[in-house]
Amino acid sequence: MERARRDVETGQTPAGQQAVQGASLTTIAWQQFKKHPMARTALVILGIMYLLAAFADFVAPYPEHDINPNATFEPPTVVHFVGPQGHLTWPYIYGLKKTIDMQTFESVWTTDTSTRHPLKLFVRRTGIRDRYVPFPVNLIPVQLRHVLGIRPWATLHLFGVGDASDQVKIHLLGTDDLGADVFGKLMFGARISLTVGILASIVAIAIGMLMGGLAGFYGGWIDEIILRFVEALSAIPDLFLLLTLSAIFYPLHLPSTTQFMVIIVALSVIGWGQTARAVRGQVLSLRERDFTVAAQALGASNTRIITRHLLPQTLSFIIISLSIQIPGYTLAESVLSFFGLGVQPPSTSWGLMLSTAQSFAGVTGLGDRWWIFTPGVAIFIAVLTWNLLGDGLRDAFDPKSRR
Amino acid sequence: MLQFIVRRLFNLIPTFIIATFLAWGIIQAAPGDFATQFAFDQVDPNKAERIRQLLGLDQAWYVRYLYWLRNVFLHFNFGTSMTSKASVTALILPLMRNSMVLLIPATVLAFAIAIPIGVYSALHKYSLADRLLTVFSLLGLAVPNFFLALIFLAFSVQWFHHYHWFLIPTGGMTSTDFSSFGPVRQVLDVGWHLIGPVIVVTLSSLAFVSRVMRGEMLEVLSQDYIRTARSKGLSQRAVNMKHALRNAILVIVAIIGATLPALVSGAGSVEYVTGWPGITPLFISSIFAQDVYVVMALLTILTLMLMVGNLLSDLALALIDPRIRY
Repeated sequence: MERARRDVETGQTPAGQQAVQGASLTTIAWQQFKKHPMARTALVILGIMYLLAAFADFVAPYPEHDINPNATFEPPTVVHFVGPQGHLTWPYIYGLKKTIDMQTFESVWTTDTSTRHPLKLFVRRTGIRDRYVPFPVNLIPVQLRHVLGIRPWATLHLFGVGDASDQVKIHLLGTDDLGADVFGKLMFGARISLTVGILASIVAIAIGMLMGGLAGFYGGWIDEIILRFVEALSAIPDLFLLLTLSAIFYPLHLPSTTQFMVIIVALSVIGWGQTARAVRGQVLSLRERDFTVAAQALGASNTRIITRHLLPQTLSFIIISLSIQIPGYTLAESVLSFFGLGVQPPSTSWGLMLSTAQSFAGVTGLGDRWWIFTPGVAIFIAVLTWNLLGDGLRDAFDPKSRR
Repeated sequence: MLQFIVRRLFNLIPTFIIATFLAWGIIQAAPGDFATQFAFDQVDPNKAERIRQLLGLDQAWYVRYLYWLRNVFLHFNFGTSMTSKASVTALILPLMRNSMVLLIPATVLAFAIAIPIGVYSALHKYSLADRLLTVFSLLGLAVPNFFLALIFLAFSVQWFHHYHWFLIPTGGMTSTDFSSFGPVRQVLDVGWHLIGPVIVVTLSSLAFVSRVMRGEMLEVLSQDYIRTARSKGLSQRAVNMKHALRNAILVIVAIIGATLPALVSGAGSVEYVTGWPGITPLFISSIFAQDVYVVMALLTILTLMLMVGNLLSDLALALIDPRIRY
């Protein structure tokens, strides 16, 4: 920056080599990242998924805890773009009627083609239960909102059929065993499934860096104790340790926000060991470097050496480990919720939605109720895109992994 | 060598004790205990307290850990299950065997398929086949294996709905009329039930192992001695098979131990979904019932298994790698 300004003042154009030399870590990383088309695509897909999760109330046609015991396992609504005369029209849907087959006692859904219900954009729903707190505000905890007196609410939805009595409903991905809209639930579930990975890996890396840093910097018995502890922790198989940890909190019937934090803590307790080991190794090697020794010789305190000299060296490391760990934690959360020890109803996550699929998979096959398996696809896409993004980030920040 | 083995074995003991102590602490940290469910018994209000005394649950948790440790070390006694009143060892052993029946073929199969795939991709780096395999392993890494098992299960149910005969079973380990079969047919029946779970466990670990193998093979191929071997005019085949593969296999031996936890955990969720009568379904139900001795025994045995697996793979590595000398 300084040099560039000087160059401008003296009227000289900076040589290309100089510009590259002066490039910051993030600039280099961004240049490297742009070379990865897959990683860029993954970034865009992930961005869309996070946006959908953030604005779930707006995109989902019905409110979060909307259930309908009379419409369980309703098949997905077909949106028609072509009218009966075979010409393109504004999209419309037909209502579905449920009858019960008296021989098998299974519900049979028939399409009621008598009336066409046109799809409407930007529908307002008027019921008191339809009010929701719009996105940036709903991140503030409820109690704090009440104290501060912030009570905004909205009723706008992206699309719907505009039927106030809800006789005809639109379920793009059908309904589940409670009659809740699977399409909407996928987006409400994404709020948990997509954030658990990020938060858990941040916590795990923070613990890991603290412990690894302590072990590496001080050595001696601190190092010995921490290493032993990490070794013992990694000796227990992950899945079983995770289940045991979550079982501590299961009998407490915690409110869903607390349960969410419990999951994050449980996941990070499982995962910090890896980071601690890696950080310890890094600190051990950094401690011997000339610049650390020089700082020590100049009389810098331990705190100063750690915060000013050692921590900045680890930025790339943090970003790389984050990108490696996030997909793993996302999967772990889904397994945990699938086993019934993670997110508890009425909150929802993709893993929990699949546990519904599990309890009905033995009765109905894949083809009959395929839509209750869609959360698995969502997990798949999320993990895949995070992995791809991670590959791109690793290449961007780690000079050794570049091709 | 013998000294190395003995030293490693002695090293395991503190890790084992810390790990079991940790597990015990975690289990005991859960509020309430097995007797809590009887706390509101209408007929006998003291029932919970009586059961607590009977099972020794009224003592401090660390005291009970010491008792537990003594019983395990001296008598190989893991205690008595609180729900079924049977000895934990007798309860677990048959389930353990069932889990092994699933885990061992899946592990062998996964490695048998993944190693050639990894080697092939590394030797034909950036070829069409390598790119395809890379895409497949990326996809494979992203599928949760319980979801894969669920899809398999739902598929077989759908098949039965449609054709009224089973292509693959819809779960479990044996058919309902299993006991009436002859010994040969019993083995075949279990084998038939194994197909689905083994495929799922193998598929889910395939991606990971083949990726590691490809990476290691590439690492070896970039070494100086490979370049030397090439430059002195050896055939491509000799270089690949004699110089590269042998060294890359060493790493596989080392990672077998490291991949075991993932395999055990992966097989665990598949067991749960497909109703395979292994240890995981028991583990889950014991966790919910707070049957601490069963949970503890399973954690201990799995931990021990992993530690021994790691040790064995280290020993094998020391045996076949001339660079490692102790």
